[in-house]
Amino acid sequence: MFHYTKSIDILYHIQYNVANGETMTNESFENVILELRRGVIVLAVLSRLDQEQYGYSLIKNLTDNGLEIDQGTLYPLLRRLESQGLLQSNWRVESDRPRRYYVLSDEGRTLLPRLKEEWNSIVAMLAKMLS
Amino acid sequence: MNLIDTYVSEVGRRLPRKNRLDIEAEIRSVLQDLLEERSQTTGKPVDDELTFEVLKEYGAPEKVAASYMPERYLIGPRLYPIFLTVVRIVFPAIVIIAATSVIINLSQHAATVSDLASAFSYALVGLATSAISALGNLVLIFAIIEWVLRNEGITVKGKDRMKEKEWDPRSLTRISTPDQVKLGEKIAEIVTSFAAIVIFNFYPRIIGFTPSLNSVAETGNWSSVTFVPLLSEAFLFYVPYLTLVWALTIFLDIFLLRQGTWNAVTRIFAIGLKLISIIIAASMLAVPSLVALTTETLAAGIGDAGAAQILMSLISQIVHIALWIVIIVESIEVVRLVYRQVVRTPAHPPLPGFVR
Repeated sequence: MFHYTKSIDILYHIQYNVANGETMTNESFENVILELRRGVIVLAVLSRLDQEQYGYSLIKNLTDNGLEIDQGTLYPLLRRLESQGLLQSNWRVESDRPRRYYVLSDEGRTLLPRLKEEWNSIVAMLAKMLS
Repeated sequence: MNLIDTYVSEVGRRLPRKNRLDIEAEIRSVLQDLLEERSQTTGKPVDDELTFEVLKEYGAPEKVAASYMPERYLIGPRLYPIFLTVVRIVFPAIVIIAATSVIINLSQHAATVSDLASAFSYALVGLATSAISALGNLVLIFAIIEWVLRNEGITVKGKDRMKEKEWDPRSLTRISTPDQVKLGEKIAEIVTSFAAIVIFNFYPRIIGFTPSLNSVAETGNWSSVTFVPLLSEAFLFYVPYLTLVWALTIFLDIFLLRQGTWNAVTRIFAIGLKLISIIIAASMLAVPSLVALTTETLAAGIGDAGAAQILMSLISQIVHIALWIVIIVESIEVVRLVYRQVVRTPAHPPLPGFVR
């Protein structure tokens, strides 16, 4: 009886640890993915703004291209990029509704090709590392 | 006011006034777009139910407002470890002072069980009050230092572009050089100077004895507790001058923390302050009655004239010794400051192979 209980006990611990480990792994995986995505959002946003877009159309554009982005992340980011001088914006009234349109500033246009180059070299470097 | 307006104003009241209207207008416009699109894709009418759905997705007003704000804190990660160290020093000190006051009071009075209980509960109340007040003051001091240092290391230029001040690895070799301002040392000095200003200006009676603790036990009336202040009027005469020195010390320390290094002007200023402290301490030595206690009041408290006389002379000796310690320490500091100003270490040559 004693041995039996003990075995059950050990089994329980093993199961618990395996389950717990799995949860941790999933959590870590999601965190890393989140970090990776966070890193590419700026470039993705800039790449879509060579033509004027308002917030919702930009989100739709990004989603259509496969990048899901949270509303709460996008608008503060657009403001930040504008304050950094990479974007410029203006309000326009369309079908009785004011909309804020964002577009690359001159500085943003100059910077974007360099950022693309940088991105390509990162991709090449990682491809080499991961192969 | 419709749901969207209510939501937008809920977000807006959590935003800084400067950008509020602009951000509110943007969120309103985005929500209207979202509603319209949702109505088209689901075929549902734009009503309260659909609005609730969209608002839920957009997020709680406080969360949305927070996403527009930079991270804000009273004491940042740079100062927090020093803050913790200071708290770890200050709190045991408060406990020791409270314990000492209980022991002194008990030694002065007949130690019945009810005396013990009164002294203990009185000390607990005092301890709690001192701890809360000390913590509040520490947070205040550190918040001010944080505020002053905020722009040091990070400078904001042009369109809010953040630019890190370049870190020079040569600073590693300078750590022990005399010109380097030691952060911990300066913060400790600011904290003690601030504490001294607060205690001597606002609570000068905190330093004293409670000869009438017995009466609490007898009458059960806390208002009968009276402090006999240890410091006399003659001492209090010096408080404005001491306060000026402490305030200038804080001013100098904050300036030094911003500068990071000593220079001739700050050293001369510090030497001036030390000399004034020495003069004040020396003139206090000449005052016969810095302590308000007399042998008579002590004897009345203790009930033993001989013991009171010994205690009185001991207290007076301690005050004199304390003043002498101040004079000696400050003199050593003056000599050290003068020496460091005269014998300056030469600037380090560039590190070999250091490529910028």
